[in-house]
Amino acid sequence: MASAKETYRAELRAAARQLGERCLYSAAKWAAELLVGVEPDASPVPSAAMDTPSSSSATSAGRLLHLHRSGGSSFRHRPRPGGGTSSEAGTPLGGVSYVSTPIPDDDAFDSGGDKYLLAKTYFDCREYRRAAHVLQKQVGRKTVFLRCYALYMAGEKRKEAEMIELEGSLGKSNAVNQELVALEKELSTHRRTGSIDSFGLYLYGIVLRDKGCEGLARTILVESVNSYPWNWSAWSELQSLCTSSDILNNLNLKNHWMKDFFLASAYLELKMHEEALKRYERLMGVFRCSGYIQAQIATVRYSMRDLDEAEMIFEDLLRTDPFRVDSMDIYSNLLYAKESLTALSFLAHRVFLTDKYLPESCCIIANYYSLKGQHEKSVLYFQRALKLNRKYLSAWTLMGHEYVELKNTPAAIDAYRRAVDINPRDFRAWYGLGQIYEMMGMPFYALHYFRKSSYLQPNDARLWIAMAQCYESDPLQMIEEAIKCYERAANSNDTEGIALHQLAKLHGMLGQSEEAAFYYKKDLERMEVEERQGQNFVEALLFLAKHYKSIGRFEEAEHYCTRLLDYTGPEKETAKNMLQGIKRLQSGFPSMDTDHFAL
Amino acid sequence: MSLFAGVSGGAADAASGVGTGRALLELTPHKMAVCQLVQVFAPPAQAGGDVVPPFPFESLAHHNRLGLFLFTLTRSCEDFLEPPLEEFLRQLKAVDNLANGWFCEQLTSSLSALNSPDDLFNFFDKLRGVLTAPEGASAEDVFLDPNSQLGVFLRCCILAFNSMTFEGVCHLLADLVMYCNSTDASYDLAEDEDFNSEMGNLMDADIGSQVGIFDKFHQGYASERHMGESSSALTRAPTSTYYFDDANIFKADDNPTCLRSRWQLEAYLNQQADILEKDPGSVPLNSFNATMTQLQTLAPELHRVQFLQYLNALCHDDYVASLDNLHRYFDYSAGMQGLFGRSVSQVQDIVVGKYESALLCLGNLHCYFGHPKKALEAFAEAVRVSQMNNDDSCLAYVLGAISNLLSKIGISNTVGIISSPYSLGTNIGLGTPLSIQQQLLVLLKRSLKRADALKLASLLSFDHLSLAKFDLKHVQRPLVSFGPNASTKLRTCPADVIKNLRLGSLVLTDFGADVLSTSNDNGSFSTSWLRNLSAASDSWRRSSKNTKKLHINDFDDFHYHAQPSPVPAPILQLAGSAYLLRATAWEHYGSAPMVRMNALVYATCFADAASSSELSLAYVKLIQQLAVFKGYSAAFCALKLAEKKFPSSTSLHIQLLGMQILHERALHRGHLKVAQQICDEFGVLSSSVSGVDIELKTEFSVRRARTLLAAKQFSQAAAVASSLFSTCYKYNMQVENASILLLLAEIHKKSDNAVLALPCALASQSFCKSFNLDLLEASATLTLAELWLALGSSHAKKALSLVYQSLPMILGHGGLELRARAHIILAKCHLSDPKFSVLEDPEAVLDPLNQATEDLQALEYHEMAAEAYYLKAMAYNHLGKLDEREEAAARFKDHVTALENPQNEEDSLAY
Repeated sequence: MASAKETYRAELRAAARQLGERCLYSAAKWAAELLVGVEPDASPVPSAAMDTPSSSSATSAGRLLHLHRSGGSSFRHRPRPGGGTSSEAGTPLGGVSYVSTPIPDDDAFDSGGDKYLLAKTYFDCREYRRAAHVLQKQVGRKTVFLRCYALYMAGEKRKEAEMIELEGSLGKSNAVNQELVALEKELSTHRRTGSIDSFGLYLYGIVLRDKGCEGLARTILVESVNSYPWNWSAWSELQSLCTSSDILNNLNLKNHWMKDFFLASAYLELKMHEEALKRYERLMGVFRCSGYIQAQIATVRYSMRDLDEAEMIFEDLLRTDPFRVDSMDIYSNLLYAKESLTALSFLAHRVFLTDKYLPESCCIIANYYSLKGQHEKSVLYFQRALKLNRKYLSAWTLMGHEYVELKNTPAAIDAYRRAVDINPRDFRAWYGLGQIYEMMGMPFYALHYFRKSSYLQPNDARLWIAMAQCYESDPLQMIEEAIKCYERAANSNDTEGIALHQLAKLHGMLGQSEEAAFYYKKDLERMEVEERQGQNFVEALLFLAKHYKSIGRFEEAEHYCTRLLDYTGPEKETAKNMLQGIKRLQSGFPSMDTDHFAL
Repeated sequence: MSLFAGVSGGAADAASGVGTGRALLELTPHKMAVCQLVQVFAPPAQAGGDVVPPFPFESLAHHNRLGLFLFTLTRSCEDFLEPPLEEFLRQLKAVDNLANGWFCEQLTSSLSALNSPDDLFNFFDKLRGVLTAPEGASAEDVFLDPNSQLGVFLRCCILAFNSMTFEGVCHLLADLVMYCNSTDASYDLAEDEDFNSEMGNLMDADIGSQVGIFDKFHQGYASERHMGESSSALTRAPTSTYYFDDANIFKADDNPTCLRSRWQLEAYLNQQADILEKDPGSVPLNSFNATMTQLQTLAPELHRVQFLQYLNALCHDDYVASLDNLHRYFDYSAGMQGLFGRSVSQVQDIVVGKYESALLCLGNLHCYFGHPKKALEAFAEAVRVSQMNNDDSCLAYVLGAISNLLSKIGISNTVGIISSPYSLGTNIGLGTPLSIQQQLLVLLKRSLKRADALKLASLLSFDHLSLAKFDLKHVQRPLVSFGPNASTKLRTCPADVIKNLRLGSLVLTDFGADVLSTSNDNGSFSTSWLRNLSAASDSWRRSSKNTKKLHINDFDDFHYHAQPSPVPAPILQLAGSAYLLRATAWEHYGSAPMVRMNALVYATCFADAASSSELSLAYVKLIQQLAVFKGYSAAFCALKLAEKKFPSSTSLHIQLLGMQILHERALHRGHLKVAQQICDEFGVLSSSVSGVDIELKTEFSVRRARTLLAAKQFSQAAAVASSLFSTCYKYNMQVENASILLLLAEIHKKSDNAVLALPCALASQSFCKSFNLDLLEASATLTLAELWLALGSSHAKKALSLVYQSLPMILGHGGLELRARAHIILAKCHLSDPKFSVLEDPEAVLDPLNQATEDLQALEYHEMAAEAYYLKAMAYNHLGKLDEREEAAARFKDHVTALENPQNEEDSLAY
C-alpha cells in the first residue's frame, strides 16, 4: 500500500506548498506536519520535491525507533484497527471509498506574477495594506484571493487595535473589521460569476461568519472543503460552526480522507469521545508519526478521564517535539489533576522558554501556581492568557476556580458566566457556578446550574452527586429528589462511592429499610472489591446486622455481626450484644431479651 | 439672567448616575453637533455684544425654542442609538423654520469644516468660551450657567475630549466624517436586494434543517435592517405619526453606531420595561430580542439589557428563556449595579442586583409560571440569604411576595404543599406550624412592620392593600375559643378592610409629598416632545406631498401622552389598585353603585399607569355590572369593545368574562349543550395542580352544579355542590361557602325537597349575616321565603314578611334577575295567601309581575319568565280579564316552548 501512502504524501506536499503560497500559514503548517507524519515505507522514500530524503527518513526512523522503545506502554500494545494490515489503511471507514479529489494545478504565475511575489513578501512582513495595494486591479483567482485576504488581515489587525482604543465605560465597543462589507460584496460577486476558487470560498466563509451569517458561512465552507479538502483552516472554521451533532450530520461533505480528521475533531468538541477515539486510532494507522493525532488522542483520553494513558502519550509527544506548545495546556491540566508538581513545573519552564506570550503558556504557568496554592499569581497569569485571547474558554473556567479558592465569589461567578456565554456547553463552568451558589448558602438557586451541567454531561457521577447534595442540604431537605439524583450517580460509575452510601443512608432515614439494606450491601461489595475500609464499612455492617435481625434472618445477621467483631470501637460491643441476643432468640428464649436496649 | 438654572437638579443626578466610568460620556459626532448648536444658542460673550436675543434669533421665543430643543436632545430616550445627521437636521428644521434653515446650514458647514485633529482641538477650545462668563457681566447678560443641564453637558463633552487619547481623537474624526457624509450618500438599496435574492437562491439550494436556521437568520437580518423602525416603533406613540420614509432607512454601515449617554440608555430601558408591563401584547418577542441583542453587542457591560430580555421572555411565557436570562443577569450584575435606578429618592428602596434579589425574582418567576412549590422554596431561600446579608429591605419585599403567593394559591392546611420539614413555619421563624392563612397573616404583619420601620412607602402601601384583601375573605374566630359555646362565632370585619384601604392610600400621599419636591424626570417628556416635533414636521412635509395623509392634531397627542405626571407611575399604580380592591370589596358587601363607581374611577383616572391585567380587571367588573343590570346584549357590546383593547389571547380576565356571560345566557335561554360546553372549557382552564387557581376551580364547580341543575339532574348537582362545599371548607374558604350553601338550597328546592333545602338556606343566611354579605343575604332570604311557601299556604304570611324584609336591599342593589325573582315571589305570596283576594287589590300582584316580566325580557330568562306569565294569567283569570289572560297565556306558551325546544343553540356561542 505504499502507493496509497505515496498519494497522501503527494497530496499533502502539494497542499503545503499551495497553502504556503497563499499565506495560509497555519493550514500549510498543519499539512506539512501531517506530511511528515505519514508512516515511512520500508524502502527509502524517493526524493521528493520539497524535502531532502535523507533527513526526512532519518528523523522519522528515529521517531519510529523511539516509539518502539517506549513499547512498554499499553498505548503501543493496543491493537490498532487498520494499523496492522496496511491494506486497510487505504480503504476508508465504513467501507465507503474515498472520493479522490484532483490536486488543482496552481494557476501558474499569471500576468502579474512579479507583483504577486512582491505582495506576498509584504504579506509575510505583515504589511497587509501594502500587499493589497500592490495587487490592485489585478485579475486571476490567486491574486484576487491574496488581495482579499490581505485586506481581511488588515481589517483584523485594525480591529484588534480598535478593541482596545474604543473600550468605553459600557465595555467593548463594537469594533468590527471594517473591510467585511466590501469583501463580502466582492466575494459574493465572484462566487456568482463562478470566478472563485476554494481559497476564495474559505475567505468568503470566514467573512460571513464574522458578519454573523452562520448558516450561509457553513454552506460556503462546505463548498470550499469539498473542492479543496487539504485546507485544515477551512475545516476548523467549519467545525467551530458545528455546535450540535444535528448540524454536523446534515453537512453535505464529500468523502475525502481529510473528512475523517474533521469528524474526529468535531466529535471531540461535541464530547462524543468514543467516536472521536475510534477515528483517530484508524487515522493513526496511516499517519503513524503525526504529532497532531497523538495530541488529539491524548486529549480524548484526558476527557474520558483516562489520565495515565493520556500522560504517557503527552510525554512521548514532548520527547519528540520538545518545543511544542499546542495542546500542552491540556497536558498541564492533566498534570494538575494528577498533582505532579515537578512535571508541571518542568513543562511550565519549557513553554516559558519557548514562547511566553502564548495564551497556552500563560495557562500552564497559572496551573502551576494554582497547584502550588498561590492563587493570586495564578489569577494573574490567567488574566494574561485572557488578554491574549478573550475567547480562551478553559482559562475563564480555571480562573473561576482560582477565584473560588480566593473566596472572591462575585469575580468567580463573573468568570464562570463568561465561560458559559462563550460556550454554553461547558459543563465545568456550569458546575462551578452551581458550586459557588451552594457555597453561598443558596442551594435552590444552585440547582439550576447543576441541572444545566448534568444535562450536558449526563454520565458524570460527580455532577449528579453535587445536585443530590443540594437537594439533601438542610434548607431544602428534598430527600426524594436527592435519592433520584444519587441513583443516577450510582448508575453512572461513581468512582468515589459516595452515591451508594448516601442512598443507603437516605433510604434508612425514610424508614425504607429494604432499600437501605440493598444499597448498604452493594456499597459493602464495592468497598470489598476496592479493599477499602473505614467508618462507612462499619456503618454498613452494623445496619445490615440490625436489619437482618429485625426481619428475622438470623444467619445473615450473625454473619455481619461476626465481621463487625474485627473492628474496635463501640460497634464491637454492640455486635457482641447482638450476637448474644440472636443466640437467645434462636434457642427459643421468650421475648425477655434485653438486647434492644443495647441498640 | 442665567438660562435653565432651574434644571440643575436633573443634571446632577445625570452626572451621579454615571458612576465610576472612565469618562462621563463618550464623545460622538451627534454630541458634537449638539455642542455646536449650544454655541449658537449661547455664543461666547463678545465685547459689547449685549443684543438680546443674539444674532440669528428673531425673538426670545425663538431663542427659547432652540434651548428647549437642545435640552430635550440630552434627555430624550426614544432609542438607544443616536440619530443620524439627516434625522437630526429634520428635527432641527422644525425649530428652525423661522430662520430659513440658517441653523442647518451653519451646523453642516461648521461640522464638515472639521477636517483634521487640530480642528477638533480648536472646536473644543472655542466651546470653553461659552461657559466662561464675560468679565464684568451683569445679571442681565445672557450666558450659559455652567451648572445647568446644557452647561453640564458641555462641560462633560469638553472633559471627555480633554481626556481622550490621540487614537480616540482620530476615531472621533473618522466618525464625524462618516456622520457628515451620511446625508449626501445616495442610498442604493440595490445591494441589499441583491443580497436578499441571493440568499433566496441559496435557501432553495439548501436542504434539511439548514433551511430553518437560515430562515431565522433571514429574519434576524430583516429586523436588523429595520432597526431604526422597530426599536422606536416599540414606544407607545401611535406609530403612524412616527416612521421613516422607506427610502430613508439608514444603514448601520453608513453611520457610526453611537450609543446615547448612559443616562439616556437607562431611561430607554426603563421605558421599555414599562411598556412590557403595561402592554406585553404590543411587544413582539423576537424583534424586541433582536433589538436588545443589538444593544448588548454595542454595550456588553450594560447588563440590564439581560433583565429586559428576561422580562420580555416572561411576558411571552417563555419559561426556559426567562429562566436563563434571569440567571445570566444576576450572575453578571449581582453586587455590581442596582436593578433599576428608578427610585428617585436618594435612599434606594431596595438595593437590588444582589443575590437575595435574584432569589426574589426567581420566586416571582416561578409564581408567574404557576409553580407555587418552587416559588416558595426560592422565597424561603431569599429570606435566609437576606437575613444572612442583613438586607432588611429585601427581606420585607420577600415577605410581601410570599404573602402575595400565599393569597394567590389557596393551599390547604392539611395537604402539605410545603412538604419539607423546614417549611415556612420554622424557616421564617414562626415557631409552631400554622395554617396557611395564619402564616399569611403573620407574614403580612411582619412585612408591614418592617416596611414601616424602613420607610418603604410603596411596600407599606402594598402590604396594607394585601391586608385589606386578606381581611375581605378572612373569617375571624374569637381569640379565646375554649369551650363548646365560644367556638361558633365567626365573622368578617369590613371595618378592617376599609381601614387598611385608607391607610394604603394615606401612606402614598405622604410618600408623594416627599417625592414631588425632587425632580421626577425620566426622560419621557423630552422623548415625546422631540417625537412630537418630528411628527409635526413630518406631517407638514407629507401634507405638502399628499394632503390625504394629514394627521389628526399631533399636539393633542403630545399633550395626552406626555404630560409629565407629578406622581411616579408605580405609586399611581398602587393608588389605583386600592380603588380596584374597593370595587371588589363592594362586590362582596353588595353595593352595586359603589362597585361601578370605583371601577369607573380606576378605568378613567389610573388607566395610564395601570398594567394591562389590572386595567382589564376593571373593565371586567364594569361589564359584569352591565350584564347584571342591563342584560346581555349591552354586556356583549361592551365586551366587544374591551376585546379590541385587550385581545382575549393575552388577557385571561377578558377571556373568562366572555365565558361567564355566555354561560349565564345559555343557562337562561335553556341551551344546555352550550352551557355544558362552556362549563367544560372552564374545567380545562383551571389547572390540575392542587392548590393553584383555587378560585377558578371553585367557579368551575359552581358552574357545573348549575348546569346540572338546569338539566334537572338534581342528585348529581347536589353531589357536585356538596363536594365543592367540603373542598372550600378544607381550604378554609368560608365566604365562598355561603354562596355554595345557597346553591345547595336552590338545588334541593328545585328537586321539591323543601325540608332538606331549609337548613341549607338558613345556614347560608347566617353565614351571610356574619360575613356581611348583604346582597347574598337578601337572596338567601328570598330563597327562604320560597321554601316557606313551598311548605304550604299556611306559611304565606311568614314568607311575605321575609320578602318585605329583603326588598329594600334587592331593589336598591340587586340585579335584574334578583329583582324579578323578588317580584315573582311577592306575587306568589299574595296569591297563595288564603286571606288575600286578587279582586280587592289586583295591583299588589300585577305590578310586581309586570316589573318581573320586563326585567326578564332583557335577560332572556325563559324559565322564570314563563312562571311570571303563568302567574299573570292566573291573576287575570281571577280578575276576569280574559283578553289579558289570553295574552299572558300565549307569552307563557312562547317561553315554555322556547325552553323545551331550544333553537339556534349555536347562536349562544356567538356574540
